[in-house]
Amino acid sequence: MKTVFSYVKPYKWPAMIAFCLMLIELSVELIQPLIIAKIIDRGIIAQDLGTIGYWGFILIMFAIAAFLSGIINSYFASHTAQSFGFDLRNALFSKIQSFTMATYLRFPTSVLITRLTSDVQQVQSVLFMSLRIMLRAPLAAVGSLIMAFVVNPKMALFLLIGTPLLMIFLYIIVKKGVHFFGEVQRRLDRVNRVLQENLQGIRLVKAYMRGNYESSRFQDVSNHLKIDTIKALRMMELIQPVLLFVMNVSLLAALWFGSIDVRNGSAQVGELVAVVNYALRMTGSFSMFAFIINAVSRAKASSERMEEILLIESGIEEYKDVNSLSPDIQHSESLRFEHVSFQYPNTKKSILKDVSFTVSPGETIAIMGATGAGKSTLLNLILRFYEPTSGEIYINGQQISKWPLEKLRSIIGYVPQQSMLFTGSIYENVSWGKQGAKMEEVRAATTQAQIHQTVENFPEQYKTRVGQKGVNLSGGQKQRLSIARALIRKSEILLLDDSTSALDVKTETAFWEALKRERATMLVVTQKIRTAKEADKILLLDEGQVIAYGTHEQLYETSEVYKLIVLSQQEREVDA
Amino acid sequence: MNFIRKPFGYEPVLTKEDVKNSVQKKKGPRPNNWKNTLLRIWKIVDEQRALLIAVLLLVVLSSVMSLLGPYLIGHMIDEYVMKEKFSGMPLLIVGLIIIYFVLALSLFFQNYWMIGIAQQTIYRMRTGLFHHLLHLPIAFFDKRQHGELMSRATNDMETVSATLNSSFIQVFSSILTLTGTFIVMLSLSPLLTLLTMIIIPAMFIATRWITRRTGKLFKEQQAALGALNGMIEETISGQQVVKAFSQEERVKKEFCEKNSRLRRTGFWALTYSGYIPKVMNFLNNISFAIIAGIGGLLAFKGHVTIGTIVVFTEYARQFTRPLNDLANQMNTVLSAIAGAERVFSIMDETVEKDGGEVDERHKLLGDVEFRHVSFKYELAEQAHTLKDVSFHVKPGQTAALVGATGAGKTTIMQLIARFYDVEQGTILFDGIDVQKLKRETLRSQMAFVLQDSFLFEASIYENIRYGRLDATNEEIEEAAKKANAHDFIVKLPNGYNTILTSDGSEISQGQKQLLSIARAFVADPVILLLDEATSSIDTVTEVKIQQALDVLMEGRTSFVIAHRLNTVRNADIVFVMQEGQMVEAGTQQELMETNGIYANMLKQAGIL
Repeated sequence: MKTVFSYVKPYKWPAMIAFCLMLIELSVELIQPLIIAKIIDRGIIAQDLGTIGYWGFILIMFAIAAFLSGIINSYFASHTAQSFGFDLRNALFSKIQSFTMATYLRFPTSVLITRLTSDVQQVQSVLFMSLRIMLRAPLAAVGSLIMAFVVNPKMALFLLIGTPLLMIFLYIIVKKGVHFFGEVQRRLDRVNRVLQENLQGIRLVKAYMRGNYESSRFQDVSNHLKIDTIKALRMMELIQPVLLFVMNVSLLAALWFGSIDVRNGSAQVGELVAVVNYALRMTGSFSMFAFIINAVSRAKASSERMEEILLIESGIEEYKDVNSLSPDIQHSESLRFEHVSFQYPNTKKSILKDVSFTVSPGETIAIMGATGAGKSTLLNLILRFYEPTSGEIYINGQQISKWPLEKLRSIIGYVPQQSMLFTGSIYENVSWGKQGAKMEEVRAATTQAQIHQTVENFPEQYKTRVGQKGVNLSGGQKQRLSIARALIRKSEILLLDDSTSALDVKTETAFWEALKRERATMLVVTQKIRTAKEADKILLLDEGQVIAYGTHEQLYETSEVYKLIVLSQQEREVDA
Repeated sequence: MNFIRKPFGYEPVLTKEDVKNSVQKKKGPRPNNWKNTLLRIWKIVDEQRALLIAVLLLVVLSSVMSLLGPYLIGHMIDEYVMKEKFSGMPLLIVGLIIIYFVLALSLFFQNYWMIGIAQQTIYRMRTGLFHHLLHLPIAFFDKRQHGELMSRATNDMETVSATLNSSFIQVFSSILTLTGTFIVMLSLSPLLTLLTMIIIPAMFIATRWITRRTGKLFKEQQAALGALNGMIEETISGQQVVKAFSQEERVKKEFCEKNSRLRRTGFWALTYSGYIPKVMNFLNNISFAIIAGIGGLLAFKGHVTIGTIVVFTEYARQFTRPLNDLANQMNTVLSAIAGAERVFSIMDETVEKDGGEVDERHKLLGDVEFRHVSFKYELAEQAHTLKDVSFHVKPGQTAALVGATGAGKTTIMQLIARFYDVEQGTILFDGIDVQKLKRETLRSQMAFVLQDSFLFEASIYENIRYGRLDATNEEIEEAAKKANAHDFIVKLPNGYNTILTSDGSEISQGQKQLLSIARAFVADPVILLLDEATSSIDTVTEVKIQQALDVLMEGRTSFVIAHRLNTVRNADIVFVMQEGQMVEAGTQQELMETNGIYANMLKQAGIL
């Protein structure tokens, strides 16, 4: 909880003010009964209208003071709580943004969503409560207890006979509660997961009429959430009855032994009555007590989940100073892989095995290979989404692990296999690659990507809204926008991951033609010989190993696998 | 002054008009909306009436016990301790222990059952929401962010959950105490009771003033939370692109903006709702002063006795406390209403229309006809995606769709699958209007390989079995072999039992496509839709799958979008699409004779 609560620090003044205002309010509430007693004793019973007026006026003044501090407290408490939540969410999100891709594999999206919303909400509301009402119950209880001790320590001691037992009981409950509530939040993760999956795959669910199947899957996760929530809440519900019962029995003990003292003459009846009254007042605050313990356990469970993220130290991308790049950048080679091997974390299978090759500046390399040969992974390593298990990758003669990440990625234009557009306008999506890009730049990029004409034909042109993941665009349109997004950066290195698969031959030919003017070094994952032929060299991968690297002619001569690929494409394609 | 308008720099969320509007609509839809929302929740709660009644009885029991305890203690002090009579005391104490035990038990069980009722209600609402969601038309999902919809089933449901857990019992016991005290007060002095009632209108007005604001603010807050959820989901799902383009700072900024909207609405919602207990306390005190003042005056005149006033002031306090609690509950209930309204608003969306005139066990022959079909996506402001498209594919035929990207090929597929309804024209299956067929009938006899292959977080077995739920493991392996997926599957650490994650990277895009094809093999459909089914698969593998696909397509009506000329050349009919229109259609032979676009295409490819 410590890390999470350190986010209250910037708001310690508003928090203190809220706290003081709460104290003022509480003290007024404590004084009130005294004033009321005065009104009754000196005013009403003595039939003195002047006194009633006088104390009545004071009562109203106090009431106004309490009212005002209460209202102002509202502002400060809610400012503190909301700002705390705001900062915490920002911190979590920033941290998540710094994750390496490998860390994302450990924390699926759904899990991160729950932590950023539901978990923050839990802690935030406890903070608000603690600045508003939380102290009231403990203060009332402690206050009453002290008063009872002042009146008659011996009798008051009886009120405490159950305390050790209660302490153990509460300790166990809170410990279990934190565990149970953590479980509840994890169940919520699962609910989020199934939801997200179904929204992403809605077409498939509908196509195969799996509505009922998915519903029952969702019922299953919801049911687990229900069961665990019930379990956690029911256990916390034990607190109030147990506290009340123990306290009431203690009260009876005080009453019994107190009455013996009264009989002995060692205590006054009035003392006994007073102690009993204070005890009754204590029990009055117990339901609030139970509520607080409940809320705190829940907040603690959520805090632990957030801290799991905030305290992550490995698996975070390092941001090095741009100056850390040594000046002796060579430009004789653009990209070099040296004995690079890779396997995804927590898997046993190597995706890339001892991959070595060199690319000269301005060269275009086609990467080919069977499905699952490691083509996409190879591109991912260049972007440093993942670190090679062994071996080194060099860009401009410099190990990429020495490059500041932002600098490295800024010279690379990347077109992923799946287009991944975002909610927003077409302009926003293309200029994603270059913030604040001018309209001409966007147009130049889209023209090159062969999508400008299409966009121009939309009634709203570049302002056309794109739904999440580009749902309202055709596959080819999405791919071309995703290409334009990379081209606008005018990068030194362009990585295209099979990103023209949905283009028709005519559009694709025009696109490659337009790309020839680019001076960038290009790595193009492709299935098509036609595209590969145009490249300077072809890198052929098989089960993670480079089995051939050279021109089309060379490979056709030497590589059986390559020949097989060429053969499979003997008859050409149509504009389909 | 500035602090009052913009405390801590928080811009106001509600304009004067907002508040005024909610006043004007007083008799209009808004309160009704609340009432409706509450009624709908109530209906679900009410399904567990027996338990609910048990809870209410226990609340009555615990209220009685909690009054009886102190009463007996008072009695004991007055009658035994004061009079130094100790003989009966142990018995009384035993009695009290029993009372307190019953109190503890009744408290525990009322909460125990109430939690059950509340969570069952939440479960019903949440699964109801999900079930409804799955039956909404695809067009509904095109317009919304996933994360925003997710927020409704989680964050919004949480507000309802929190309220149901506690508010129900509290509201009921407050009303109980209120009625009890009111009766006692009335019997003591109707006149003073009337005086106490003076503040009730004030309380009512104050509560209205506040809830008029908080009601709207809570809704805003939930909406802001939903928007934030939407942004988080989308950004993290697309993290690869964020990183590749080094846009971390940009998304952080965007997050911060959405986050501060949440902070701002949250601030105002919390602040205003925080007013309620303070206002109530204040009014209590005023009420007390009034009773003391006017009561004192009345006592002089002899209208009431002093003793009555003294007792009465105590009751007046007791009377206002539950009122106070009720007003507090108003806020919790309002926040729950805000959440529930967002849930119900989805549940009020019209589900996909489903025809039912034709028997659902109707066996399709595979005859597909489009008659003058025009279509336009709701979200796209573009001109029609399909314009007056007509064609007829007979059972067992293979139709190839040919044309540039964006020509409307995928849209035709989506319409055959009935993901969308046509705007104009008719689609007929076996001569029956698609509107008269149940979706279930239709889709259960179709198989799809969609452009974006999607896998669920489940084992490979389960993912392929998605095509037909009763497929055996052997059938699945058979299908995987045909789809050329078997080889890579057995190399995975857990083979067919390997659990895939939809955003994980255990398998490549091409392998995902192989699994989608295996899924279609398992489905054994009458109509087969293949939309770029092999686009991410290397051509060597593709050739192998193609042979299997050819076997699969035999005897089934198939629609194919593909680059491979072979596939297109093997088709019985070819449809050439251009900007949403079908410009050529016919058999290979016919199209050659027309010597149009298709023939040209082939010539360019060097076939003719």
